[in-house]
Amino acid sequence: MKTKAGALNQGLIRCHDCGTLSQLNTHSCPVCASHLHARLPHSLQRTAALVISGYALYLPANLFPIMTVTRLGTGEPHTIVGGIFALIDSDMVPVALLVLVASILVPVIKLLGLTLLLLSVHFRWPINARFWTIIYRIIAFVGRWSMLDIFMITILVSLVNLGGVAQVIAGPAATAFASVVVLTMFAATSFDPRLIWDNPNAYD
Amino acid sequence: MALAACPECDLLLNRHQAVVGEKAHCPRCGYLLQRPAKQSVERTLALSIAGLILIFPANLLPLVGIKILGNSHDGTLWSGVFTLFSEGMWAVAILVFLSSMCFPMLNILLSLFVSFHLHFKKPSKYLSVWLRWLQHLEEWAMLEVYMLGIIVACVKLASMAEVQFGLGLYAFIALIIINGMLTSNLDGYLFWQQVRQLNKTHEN
Repeated sequence: MKTKAGALNQGLIRCHDCGTLSQLNTHSCPVCASHLHARLPHSLQRTAALVISGYALYLPANLFPIMTVTRLGTGEPHTIVGGIFALIDSDMVPVALLVLVASILVPVIKLLGLTLLLLSVHFRWPINARFWTIIYRIIAFVGRWSMLDIFMITILVSLVNLGGVAQVIAGPAATAFASVVVLTMFAATSFDPRLIWDNPNAYD
Repeated sequence: MALAACPECDLLLNRHQAVVGEKAHCPRCGYLLQRPAKQSVERTLALSIAGLILIFPANLLPLVGIKILGNSHDGTLWSGVFTLFSEGMWAVAILVFLSSMCFPMLNILLSLFVSFHLHFKKPSKYLSVWLRWLQHLEEWAMLEVYMLGIIVACVKLASMAEVQFGLGLYAFIALIIINGMLTSNLDGYLFWQQVRQLNKTHEN
């Protein structure tokens, strides 16, 4: 019953950019000239591809060192988890928690959340549409905060650049981790939340 | 009243024009449809000019500096990007450059162009293109995430070096505040409405 309330069921499509409603067979928006689609094109395929790539890069992002700290000649490679432990060791527990949330929890929650959304839409699971729309909104909102680690390394690399005395060098995990963040951000934008509501078995 | 659709659940709605102080939510999924701001166009214009001025000191002056064993070193936004690039981390360097320098600048310029044209009632065929880009680029400008990165980096450095705050940091914090005000002031619904009207009167 509820899907009847959708604009598409009334033969109307909403412009993704300016929100103007047009008749179903219109190709470009009369107001802003954007291409019109009832739903984002190939939303599930694109999101699935980006999420799978995100999973694949999540491993090197956590296994390889994200930076190497050299002090008076002796180098010490740090992984993301290692960096968190280093913060705990120096009694910086609140900051350690912040990094834990931004670099470990947020990417994992994003990847798992998007996977569940994809599966629920594809297999038409009977889910609470309103609840999962809110989950989608959280996923889309928190994504950018994972860049925290990348920015922190950028600052350390440029500041601690004193040759033999002290130096920080970015490691291979930085590229992998940055890719995970970008891929999951693209995955969130390419997922169309209206698909949750198109599912005939969903309720609200 | 006008017919509209919710962008996240496609519910067909009869839109009333919300007034300042009200928030319009979708009754089915809770999406924030509109939050009108007082004098949205004029404030956007003023704030984007302020942002444009602040971008220069925030980008050019040192944000933080450190002192280890008598050696001191300053870091600017640009030096971080440059160091990453020279270490061969070009992908991360490009991402940091885009999200901390290029996109924030573009965001402010696009807000300036759009609000200038709307305020002085100058029609332009690029208005909808600018507004569309502004909407898409918003989440990729990550100044506030960068700020959090600075804080975490300073906490990490505090144990091994003396950290000094530069003048650029104050400009950077002011820029983040201006940017936040800009985002919350820009009423997308109202802007598209005005673009539509301006282009219509221009055609007649």
